Amino acid sequence: MTALSSSDLASTDPTPRARRQWLKTIAQGGRRGDAAAAWLMLDSVAAIGFAGGLAGAIVAVPAGAAAVLPWVMLVVLSGGLRGLVVMLATRRGARQAENAKVTLRRRIVASALHRDPGAPTTTGVLMAAVVDEVDALDGYIARFLPARKAGAIAPFLILLATALASPVAAGILVVTLIPFIVAMALAGGAAAEKSRRQFTALARLTGRFADRVRALPVVLAFGAEDREAHALGIAADELAARTMGVLRVAFLSSGALEFFAALSVALVAVYCGFNLLHLLPFPVPEQLDLGRAFFVLALAPEFYAPMRRLAAAYHDKQAAETAADRLIALPAPASPMPASLPATPHALRPDMPVLPALAFRSVAIRYPGAERCAVSDLMFDVPPGRIVVLTGPSGSGKTSALHLLLGLAPLVAGDVLIDGERLPPGGSLAPSASWAGQHPLIIAGTIRENLRLACPDATDDAIDRAVVQAGLRPMLMARGGGRMAAGLDTRLDARGGGLSGGERRRLALARAMLKPAPILLLDEPTAHLDALSEIALVTTIVAACRGRTTLIATHSDRLVGIADHVVRLGDPA
Amino acid sequence: MTGPLDRLLAQERGAQRLLLARAALLAAVVAAASVLLLGLSGWFITAAAIAGLAGPAAALAFNYMLPSAGIRLLAILRTGARYGERLASHEAAFGALARIRPAIFRALAAQPAGTALAFGTGEATARLIGDVDAMEMQFVRQSAPWGVAAALIAGFGLVSLGSVAASIATACCMAVLLIIADRLARRSAPLGQAVQYAAGALRETFAGLADAAPELQCFGLEPWAAAQVDDRSRALAAAQRAQAEAAGWLDLLHATAVGIAAAGAAILSAGSGAPRAALAALAAAMTIDAGTPVLRAMIERGRMRAARDRLDDILKTHEGAETYLENASPRALPNTAGPSRSALHFVLPAGMCHVRRGDRVALTGPSGIGKTTLVEKMLSLRPSAPGEIWLDGDDIGLIPAEISRRSFAWAPQDAALLSGTVRDNLMLANPDADDATLWRALHDAVLDDRVRALDHGLDAWVGENGARLSGGERRRLAVARAYCSLAPWLVLDEPSEGLDRTTERLLAVRLAQRLDTTGQGLILVSHRPALVALCPRRFDLTQAGLDRRSAA
Repeated sequence: MTALSSSDLASTDPTPRARRQWLKTIAQGGRRGDAAAAWLMLDSVAAIGFAGGLAGAIVAVPAGAAAVLPWVMLVVLSGGLRGLVVMLATRRGARQAENAKVTLRRRIVASALHRDPGAPTTTGVLMAAVVDEVDALDGYIARFLPARKAGAIAPFLILLATALASPVAAGILVVTLIPFIVAMALAGGAAAEKSRRQFTALARLTGRFADRVRALPVVLAFGAEDREAHALGIAADELAARTMGVLRVAFLSSGALEFFAALSVALVAVYCGFNLLHLLPFPVPEQLDLGRAFFVLALAPEFYAPMRRLAAAYHDKQAAETAADRLIALPAPASPMPASLPATPHALRPDMPVLPALAFRSVAIRYPGAERCAVSDLMFDVPPGRIVVLTGPSGSGKTSALHLLLGLAPLVAGDVLIDGERLPPGGSLAPSASWAGQHPLIIAGTIRENLRLACPDATDDAIDRAVVQAGLRPMLMARGGGRMAAGLDTRLDARGGGLSGGERRRLALARAMLKPAPILLLDEPTAHLDALSEIALVTTIVAACRGRTTLIATHSDRLVGIADHVVRLGDPA
Repeated sequence: MTGPLDRLLAQERGAQRLLLARAALLAAVVAAASVLLLGLSGWFITAAAIAGLAGPAAALAFNYMLPSAGIRLLAILRTGARYGERLASHEAAFGALARIRPAIFRALAAQPAGTALAFGTGEATARLIGDVDAMEMQFVRQSAPWGVAAALIAGFGLVSLGSVAASIATACCMAVLLIIADRLARRSAPLGQAVQYAAGALRETFAGLADAAPELQCFGLEPWAAAQVDDRSRALAAAQRAQAEAAGWLDLLHATAVGIAAAGAAILSAGSGAPRAALAALAAAMTIDAGTPVLRAMIERGRMRAARDRLDDILKTHEGAETYLENASPRALPNTAGPSRSALHFVLPAGMCHVRRGDRVALTGPSGIGKTTLVEKMLSLRPSAPGEIWLDGDDIGLIPAEISRRSFAWAPQDAALLSGTVRDNLMLANPDADDATLWRALHDAVLDDRVRALDHGLDAWVGENGARLSGGERRRLAVARAYCSLAPWLVLDEPSEGLDRTTERLLAVRLAQRLDTTGQGLILVSHRPALVALCPRRFDLTQAGLDRRSAA
């Protein structure tokens, strides 16, 4: 349920400050983000060349085409240069965004692989985070940040060039900038607030539609599709009317930017004209000539260009902030991901010759946000080398008990003991345990590669033994045209295409047997199999359990039959 | 041939034609004013300089009032027109979308069984929303070509004051720009598709590995799994970068074209004197500059087309479904070979199960065995096999879904709440219910005290899919919603998951009382003994339909 839990997470809104801080850390994947901004600043430099070329060309017109030509070449070159640096800025920004996204995804994936199953963050939420929310940061890093950095400096480059030609014209630019900045500063939060409201208003327009599409099954079930479609139209009309009110105001702020840009061009043009005509009603310390006047005029629109670029990228910022709120709310990785297994008791070494004993003592498991314990007061022993079966209705916590041993479920009370030694909170028996479940992991690759996942340095002999024990021989012979080795080298796709349910379970068992682990955990190893395949598989399971301390979660009466001891979980209502 | 979406869009374009015409007109004003503003400014300065050099008499004779007033007027006109254009185009888009969205929703609702459930998952919904947003963007951008046309006309006229050759050169420059941009856009269209594939591959890999946490833990495969996802993640980011880089070429092309147009106009107009050359050069530059919105639209063209195709498909099956319904008889004929009327029958591995009205049955079995699937088939949310489920003597696959669904009041496993108020959610099941009915339903779902404690009671906002409620509360609100409907069978899918034992027992007691009062039947999917105890008949889906009549 993507929608459900993503909004769950959004309900704890981080402060703007925390959000800013977070976005900053993400964007600083490499300090080279400044390169994009530097290219954008070069755009302003090229604009100065462009204006200079135009001014020179116009001044040279009376001298004939030959005199105009070099200036015109400067215009073409500067134009090309402007395009080139903007393109380079785009490329650099895109690369920067690429790096940031890849890095961020790594972090989310690390936490995803460590999450508590059944915890409020579902695969759907994490998937939305990994793909969509991370992508929402793209424009922020690729466009908004470089535009902001360039926007702080580039206008002053233009101002400097203008001042060299005409200090008064530069003064006019500053004067038109000041009311703009004052207006922005006075409105301060209000201007930002308005565009935020614009953003949320637009989001709400699509939101209701999205919500009803998601809830379509219940809408259909209650025969409400016509009512809802009708209501959707009415709500959209109402919302559009209200949104237009917000937009009227929100567009004003971009209108102001535009107005000052146009005003500055007009004022500069009028000033230059009157200066050239010697008709200014007040004394100025400068007398312009055509070249300088034209240069200043052609440059005037460029003064506001960086700020307009920034305004155009503003919605990238808002999209990124919305995504950031959801990403911040994701749980941090429970523990730094790989290798760190100090939690494994010393008594337990993968190469340990003696089989361990497991004991659950008044164990309770409760997932964050759940109203009830998944398991409470669970008490049982697994003697070394024996098979214990956990059974009970769905939801009684069998799988949670297995997950607990791998640090994938939160222990809230009681203890798990390994040879009498306490398993520390969040600790995991993973290095000494093997696992086979009802949905085995199948990767695109050969069957041999799939098996080697459990034990990368397994010899071919070991693999042969494991597959024979797991009863895969007939299938492999058939696939390999009579040769098992060839069968092992046939390829599977990621969905395990061509394997039956029973064969997948056998593959998982073969994999579990390949790892020389003293503990074997089986989660519903025979679920959804027909009676005959189940009977056949139970024999294989018995073989797999030999020489291991085994804990099985199952519904199956046949598996209960192989247990040395049966623990019944459930609700004595 | 035009698809249904095109017809819908054309219709909306007709309905919004005044606003769209206003937007187009204002876009034309913006573009023409920009060209005129810079052209006039250039001419004014150059002419003023020449007059100034010619001495005070010439300067005084120079008519400076008209051009300087014109410059100020154009500056204000441009700003005002752009503001007006944005408002008009957005208003037109919102107006159109207010009708396009319901039309698409209706079409979705009429899709074959199974489609609705697919849209419960994030990706399909996200894509649909994106497609509809693309249509909105298209409406907002409708005025862009008018701007370009106006700029071309204004530019052509203005530049021809320099020389006709210059104005022809400007027009050629624009034409070449558009042709090359079109080529570029065509070339980069597959890049957009590559991004979609890469995103799909990332989703698939991530989903496969995220659900295999225990195996990854045991075999020390977490770093390997992370690397697998990382590969897909890098492929996606690289595809997106390639797309951004393709757009970068357009920037290069555009800026170069502006330079060439300005330079060409200046040199070709040199014979007409400096003022006219200045006018021509600046006007030519602004003419090409006005092409920006059209270039942006070109880059998006591939995405737009894909969005239109997908929406077209949805609308097409809708039209098909309607004609089918008109031609088919509204109800299938009673099947004499089929089971008796006035009851529900479904086929389980062991044989036919017969559920009369008022019966209370529990469906049990381990998770994944297909209990929820069976329920979804009863509700025609999934296609059922011929002869698999029978309602009142008819094969449910042959009864129009909107009729068969009236027999069931469903509380789904995932709650599936609407973002709205408590009342919105309850009234979905029964639009005519009064407050007393709603409170009774909430009481029976053990949620009345909680709702009373909320700030606005029945009108309290529950958040997106009930985000303001806990998991158990969401479920109970879904149960209360089902209670609001008086359909012959209540279908409750795991109604008490996540509830504490006291609440669960209360829920069971009140459910029993409710069933006694209403005489409704119950189809319950649950493992909880407190609830299963309400059902004298239990079907275990694993044990092939053993119908145990006694209470355990």
